[in-house]
Amino acid sequence: MNLKLKKVLTMRTIVATSAGLTLSSSTFVAAVQVAGFLAGDAAWLAILTGGLLCTTAALCFGELNGMTPSAAGIRLYFSRAYNDRISLIVSMLYMVVVMGVIGAESYVLARVLNEVWPSVPALVWILAMFSIVTVLNVLGIKIAGGFQNVLTYGLVLSMLAFAFIALAKVNFQLTSPFASGGSIGLVNAVALGVFLFVGFEWVTPLAEEVTHHRMVSKGMLLAIGILSVTYALFTIAMTATTPRETLAGSPIPHLIFARSILSDAGVTWMVAITLAASITTFNAGLISVSRFVYSSAREHVLPPLLSKISMRFFTPWTAILAIFLIGLAISITVLITHQYLVMVNIAAAMESIIYALAGLAVIRLRGKMPEADRPFRIPGGYIIPGICTLVFTGLALAVFASFPIVLLYIALGLLICTWYVNVVVPELKRRYQIQKAAAKPPRRLMAQKKSKSD
Amino acid sequence: MATHEEISASLQSFYEGYQKNNKLKLMNRDWNRIIIIRASDIDSQHTLTLQNGELSVTRGAPDQNADLVVTSDSETLADLFYGDITPTEPYMNGTLVIQGSENDILRLDFISLMIWGE
Repeated sequence: MNLKLKKVLTMRTIVATSAGLTLSSSTFVAAVQVAGFLAGDAAWLAILTGGLLCTTAALCFGELNGMTPSAAGIRLYFSRAYNDRISLIVSMLYMVVVMGVIGAESYVLARVLNEVWPSVPALVWILAMFSIVTVLNVLGIKIAGGFQNVLTYGLVLSMLAFAFIALAKVNFQLTSPFASGGSIGLVNAVALGVFLFVGFEWVTPLAEEVTHHRMVSKGMLLAIGILSVTYALFTIAMTATTPRETLAGSPIPHLIFARSILSDAGVTWMVAITLAASITTFNAGLISVSRFVYSSAREHVLPPLLSKISMRFFTPWTAILAIFLIGLAISITVLITHQYLVMVNIAAAMESIIYALAGLAVIRLRGKMPEADRPFRIPGGYIIPGICTLVFTGLALAVFASFPIVLLYIALGLLICTWYVNVVVPELKRRYQIQKAAAKPPRRLMAQKKSKSD
Repeated sequence: MATHEEISASLQSFYEGYQKNNKLKLMNRDWNRIIIIRASDIDSQHTLTLQNGELSVTRGAPDQNADLVVTSDSETLADLFYGDITPTEPYMNGTLVIQGSENDILRLDFISLMIWGE
């Protein structure tokens, strides 16, 4: 039986995609916030701990993805582990949060570009970025694997180069590597440190484009390892060479750092890094959300208008346009309120909830479907999924305790999504069934009847 | 459980729907793909070949590597290619598994949408 595919992805591209989707301009802001929770040079400790905890989530996603290699991702995993309703509520809320991350991302990028070209207002940059990415999406232009490799590995090397140049410049000595200044600060720093890795699991839809599903699991782990080291070094370099209070109060700490290290050349280099980091996150975020919206409309859980396709480019243009409008509204709101950090914290909490649910999903599915084929099974029984569930539940609670407004927003989002799934979705499905029954009798049944009468 | 013959008949129905749609043929003139359709619960395999906008259906596996591999139980495959169900529902609940690039998967869904409607 010939089941080989013509095109398959390499491990290099899987790692680049996983790390590339994670690297964004907002991560520089988050890295400074992580350092802000800690005394001394202990930021690396929180980042590496965050990375280590994310590996437990990566292992859980690896097992889930091996069982059901599908671009549907958490929508499918959670549907099997819990039920379709919970899966839909969580997926919808998560997609809204991803839109929020795009809002924060566009704000940071617009501020960076506005800093370099002050005569152009930040709103113009946001409009331009959204328009470009939307047009690319409607045209169906995706970042190719080779280009993604160049972008990601170029970004990682640039960040490491910046870190080493900065550390060499001040002749850096690690004097207080474990002085975290207290356990509460460390827990909060780790919780926010998780945000630095947000999106590593977005690589799981590529499971349909590989021949060995273990590759995706290994790719995620490698990406987290590379990112942990890169972030730790970059954050230490930033806080060791630039006053923390200057960095903490700014949405563009990486630009301030670059200017202090390499003057104008540093600024140019950092603008290029920021653009590259944002393009991948921005594009991937819009693709993920628009595909989710399209498939949800096809599944009759969103209005059918959102399943329209472009006859020329074979892309879901109404879904993309809807995301353009929502994303723009969120970005403008962030621009007016300057509440980008709230978005970062909401994303950190939501990501922790998703990871905790993924850990629990592994445990539940082992009970519900013990015989199911698992190309990748986490070793050590329930220990790693258990740790993942408990730790990420704790981290989500830590974010809520530190930022009660985040709890309020997530609870509100959960209520709205629950109402939508319980009230609107059944109505949409009912209408579809009526329409379907009136429009066409089952063709298979008709064919069977015809065959019998013949 | 559907039979191999029923899956063949459903693919024939899909083929006829495709043949009636000249716009679809025009849109697919540069989308040359080999798609394997295989049932997970019975011994049944078909190949859809799209070449210069023309679709052909053959029984059995192709003699070259495929661009897409569509796997599901025989019931789902028969219902799917008759257009009685949309691919999204079985895809979202894991009954339908498709291997291949995301763009190709989306294109296949679009073709099904254009042949059978919502």
